[in-house]
Amino acid sequence: MKKAFLVIMVVLFASAMVFATGAAEAQQEARPDVVNIRIWYSIGGASGQFFEQQVNTFLASHPEIKAELTYTGSYADSNTKIAAARLAGDAPDLIIVSASQIYPGEDGNYEMEELVKDKDFDFGDLQPGIVEYAKYNGRLTSLPFSISTQVFYYNKDLAKKAGLDLEKNPPKTWDQFVEVCQKIQAANPGVWGFDTSDGVWLFKSMLKQNGNQVVEAKGEDITPIFDNAAGVKVGEFWKSLVDKGIMPAQQHDNAEKKFLAGTLAFVAATSNRIAKWPGSTEFEIGAIEMPYFVEPAVFLGGSTATILTQDKWKSDACWQILKYVLATDNQAEYSLVSGYLPIRKSVLQKADVKAYINDSELYRVATDQLSYAWAYTHFGAMGSMDTFFWYALDDIESGKMTPEAALKNASKQLIAEL
Amino acid sequence: MSKKRYNWVVFAVLAVGAVTMIFPFVWMILSSFKTVRDVYTYPPKWLPSEWNFNNYASVFSLIPFGRYYLNSIITSVAQTVIQIALSVFGAYCITFLSFPGKKFLTTLIRSTMFVPMVVTLVPMYLIVSKLHGIDTYAGIILPQVLSAFTLFLVASFFASIPKDLIDSARIDGCGYFTIMGKIVIPNAKSSIATATLFAFLGHWKSYTWPLIITNKDKFRTLPIGMKYLVQESSSEYQVMMAAAVMAILPVLILFVIFEKQLVKSVTLTGMKA
Repeated sequence: MKKAFLVIMVVLFASAMVFATGAAEAQQEARPDVVNIRIWYSIGGASGQFFEQQVNTFLASHPEIKAELTYTGSYADSNTKIAAARLAGDAPDLIIVSASQIYPGEDGNYEMEELVKDKDFDFGDLQPGIVEYAKYNGRLTSLPFSISTQVFYYNKDLAKKAGLDLEKNPPKTWDQFVEVCQKIQAANPGVWGFDTSDGVWLFKSMLKQNGNQVVEAKGEDITPIFDNAAGVKVGEFWKSLVDKGIMPAQQHDNAEKKFLAGTLAFVAATSNRIAKWPGSTEFEIGAIEMPYFVEPAVFLGGSTATILTQDKWKSDACWQILKYVLATDNQAEYSLVSGYLPIRKSVLQKADVKAYINDSELYRVATDQLSYAWAYTHFGAMGSMDTFFWYALDDIESGKMTPEAALKNASKQLIAEL
Repeated sequence: MSKKRYNWVVFAVLAVGAVTMIFPFVWMILSSFKTVRDVYTYPPKWLPSEWNFNNYASVFSLIPFGRYYLNSIITSVAQTVIQIALSVFGAYCITFLSFPGKKFLTTLIRSTMFVPMVVTLVPMYLIVSKLHGIDTYAGIILPQVLSAFTLFLVASFFASIPKDLIDSARIDGCGYFTIMGKIVIPNAKSSIATATLFAFLGHWKSYTWPLIITNKDKFRTLPIGMKYLVQESSSEYQVMMAAAVMAILPVLILFVIFEKQLVKSVTLTGMKA
C-alpha cells in the first residue's frame, strides 16, 4: 500500500512538472496584448516628420503595437547615444542611423538574413548595390533606409557665362571636368571651380572609379588597399585640383555655403539637397553625373535600419513597421519628399516617380547614378578609417605630405586600429 | 608723446579691439532679420534688403524652441545654485578649517580637474540609468553640479580675506556658519558673482551630457535644440541666427546684473574674465 502510494505520488509529481513546464513555455510563447517598442532615428526636418507620419499611419491600424519615436539628431550624435544606451543595457529596439549594421554585426547577429525571407517583403526588389551598403563583413544585418549619393550640382548662370550648356554636353571624365572648371573660372573671375562638403565620401568614389575597392575583405580579415598605385594616382589627382586653383584647400566645411552664395561653380553634395536647395538661390541649379577615371562609380551614403532587440515580439513588431515603410508605395512617397534615393527597383517604375524624374533634372541625375552605385565591405573600424582619410586629404591639400606618404600613413593607422 | 596723444592712441587701439569683438554679434543680429537670399549674396550685405521678422517665428515652428529654452533655464539655474552653494561650503572648509586629511582631500579634489569629462561619461550614464534618471531633470542636473574649478576659484578669493577678521569673529563667539554668513560671504560677493557667471555659462552651453541622458523633447535643452536646427534648416542661416540671438539673452542679462562685481573681481585679482 505504502509502495503504491509512493508510486502514485511520484507519477503525479512528474506529471505536474511536465504540465508546469508546458504552461511556463506556453506563457513565454504567448504574445502580450500590446507590444511597446522604441524607435530611434536620425532623419531630421521634413523627411523625419514624414517618416513619423508613415509610422503613425501604420500604428493607427495596428493597436497591438505601440511605438515611441525619438529623433536623435545627427549620425554622430545618434551613434553616441546608441553606444551609451547599449552599454547601459537600455538600447532602443529599432534604430535608423548611418552604419547601424555595425551593432548586430559585432554581436554576430544575422537575424535579418532570416527576416528578409518573409514572402510579404520582396527582398529581390531591392537595388543590389544598395543592399551591399547594409551588410557587415559581407552578411546582411540591416536594411538600407535613407540612401544618398553625391551629386555634382552646378551654377547654371556661371556655366552660361562661359558659353557652356552642361545639360546637353556634360563632362564625363575627370579630365573633361577639369577643363570645364577652368573655362568657367576664366569667364567668371574670383569664382572657385569645384569643392565638396564631404571630401572623404568623394575620395572613396574616385578610388573605385580607378579600380580600387578601398579595403580587401577575406572573411573577417580586412586589409586596406587604398594606398596602392591606383589609390596614389587618385591622391595625386586630388592634389592637382588644389594646385590648379580649381578647388580651395582645406575649406570643405564652407563648400555648400560658397555654392549657395554663387562663388563656386560645382559642388559635390548629398542627393538629399535636391529637396532643399531649388528656389533658395538667386541662380538656377543644375546637376551632372559624377565624372570618372576608368569606370563610373558613386559611393553610397546614408542610414540603415537595424533591429537591436532580441525579444521575439518586439523584433516582430519592428519588422512589421519596416515592411510597411519600405513597401513600394511608401518608399516612393518618402523618396520624393526627402530627396533620398529609392531603394526598390519597383519605385522607379511607378508613373508618378517617372514623371517626377522627367521633370526634375536633379532627381534624374541622382537616380541615373544608381546603376553604378556601390558600397565596400562594412567593418568595425570604418569610422576610424574615415577619420584617417580626412587627415590624409588634409595633409595632401596642404602639401604637408605627398599623396603617397599620406595614404600610406592612413593605411598604417588603420592596420594598427584593426 | 604727450598724455593727450597717448590717450588717443590707446583709445584707437581699444576701439579697434571693441569693434572686432562686437562685429560677430552685430552680424548675427542683422542676419536674423535677413531673407535666405540676403544671407548668401556675395559680396555680403550688411543690412537686410527687407526686414524679415518671420525668422523668429520659424525657429519655434521648426523645433520646440520654447520647451528647450525652459529646460535650459530650469537645469542651468538649478545646477548653478547647487554648484555655487556646494563650492562656497567646500571653499570655506579648505580655506578656514583644519581637520585630519585636509591636505589629502584637497589634492584629491584638485586631481579631478585632470580627468576629462568623456572618461566619466559612460560610468556616469550607467549609474544614472540604474537609478532611473534617464529623461529626468535630476538626471541632467545632479551629475554636473560638482566642479573642482569653481570650488578652487571661490577658495582663492576666500584666501584673500584677512585672517584677523575671522579670528575677531571667533573671539566674539561666532560659530562656523555665522562667520561664513556674516564675514566671509559678504567680503567675497564679487568672487561669488564671478563664479556664478562662469558656472551658469558652462551649464547653459552644456551639450554632451544632456544629449546622452535625454531621449524625449520634454527634457532636451537648448544646445541640443540648436544643433537640430542646424540639421533641419541646413541652408537657412537666417533662422539659425534668430535662434542664436534668443539663446544668448539669459547670459547677457546675467552679465549685466553681475557686471560690477565681475569687473571688481577682475581688477582685484588681475584674472581674465
